[in-house]
Amino acid sequence: MALPLPPGLTPPEIAFLCEMELVTVVPRQRLERLELLGGPLPPLNPPHRTALPLWLALLLKRQRRANILPPPWLSPHSLTAILDHETTHEQGFSPPPRLPPLPSQNTLPFSPPFLPSSTDNAAPDALPYHWLELGEMLLEAATDDFEDPDNVRKLLRGLREVRMAKLRQGVEVLDSEGGISMNGVGGMEVAEGRAFVTGVIDGLRKITVSREQQKKDKDGEQRENGYSGTAEDYDDDEMDMQ
Amino acid sequence: MDIDDLLAEVSAEAVPRETRDLQELTRCWVAERVAPELLTWPEELMERVLERIRRQIELVEDQTGDMDPKANFKLIVIQTELERFKFLVRSFLRARIKKIDLFPLHTLALHTASTDPGSTTTAAPLLSSSEYQYLTQHQALLFQHYASSFLSQFPASLQRLDDTTGGISMVDRPDEDKAVFCRALRGVGEIRVEGTERVFEMKRGDVWVVRWSAIREWVRTGDVELI
Repeated sequence: MALPLPPGLTPPEIAFLCEMELVTVVPRQRLERLELLGGPLPPLNPPHRTALPLWLALLLKRQRRANILPPPWLSPHSLTAILDHETTHEQGFSPPPRLPPLPSQNTLPFSPPFLPSSTDNAAPDALPYHWLELGEMLLEAATDDFEDPDNVRKLLRGLREVRMAKLRQGVEVLDSEGGISMNGVGGMEVAEGRAFVTGVIDGLRKITVSREQQKKDKDGEQRENGYSGTAEDYDDDEMDMQ
Repeated sequence: MDIDDLLAEVSAEAVPRETRDLQELTRCWVAERVAPELLTWPEELMERVLERIRRQIELVEDQTGDMDPKANFKLIVIQTELERFKFLVRSFLRARIKKIDLFPLHTLALHTASTDPGSTTTAAPLLSSSEYQYLTQHQALLFQHYASSFLSQFPASLQRLDDTTGGISMVDRPDEDKAVFCRALRGVGEIRVEGTERVFEMKRGDVWVVRWSAIREWVRTGDVELI
């Protein structure tokens, strides 16, 4: 009964998450408004464009009831520009799409897959969190909706390789303390890198555990004694070096 | 507060409750799959979601009789979505049961502390009532089984299953310093990794690999999510 999977999302689970992303479809058939568990589904009136979750768009596409409009960033032009950016900037991934303004304090902020980062009015110049999964799924199920599917496929492959190389290079900065910035990383890339990255950090931590314990004890003692710590030049030096 | 903030507020409130609950449930599921320790049971959220699922199942049962092809497709959409929700809920519950099974005594102690009327630190119980029932009965059965098969032959001082004397604790605990991937939903300022010199600032939208213990409080308040 207990889940036999290891901690951390597996690639099929990431794909499941990705299927909640909104995409824009052009319906070919009418469909009334439906009350779904995840909120009401707007009525479909051909040929008005409607934003739907990917799982539903794929279902409609498979039954030839709708066409899917690929998001603006999934065009050869945008992908070439992003690939250019990835190859010329060796440090870090290309920046993620700009975030919408923060809602007020008492409401939950949205995050992928609930940000409209893959609809027809999404930003054309940045890869959203689920870029790889979404691109692959659309290329497989809706090839005829792309103008140049082979080129898109080639560019996605190129992007994937450049970014995987960066992920592998990033391994060199891993240490026992954690606190590594991964801005712009994609969902599938997290799933692929998770076991290795967290494994290395946890392994290194176990090696240095006694040194950390000593420091923790020392810090605790200092706090108790009201020791300001200004005499600890050695600590300050280390901070400067980082 | 400028015009963008006002617009954002209006649009966030315009998002229906159901959609916000789906986002919250998804976030809870991901967090439970990723976090090394058990998280607090989202009582109100689960009540709403389970009630909606129950009603939707009734609706499907009612309408399955109609064989009109148009209504039939509507039903396919509804059922597909229903299955997706059921998967989310099931996977969430199973991920929790896994952690309960791995650390039964530790979980029980935490749950007891969280329901202690005298404590003011925690607001919600850690486990749902069914989970609590599962945990206590499972442990009772296991203990009876061990006792009747071999423990009763041991000297009385060696029969306990939660012995913490002698420097080694029999109570298994999760590794709270495990590294996790997380994303800041709001700017949370400086994060300090205890026991090390590492201090860094987490801005909205940033993705970091960091120890669970360093960001745990922010995940509880909903300012940081696990990915």
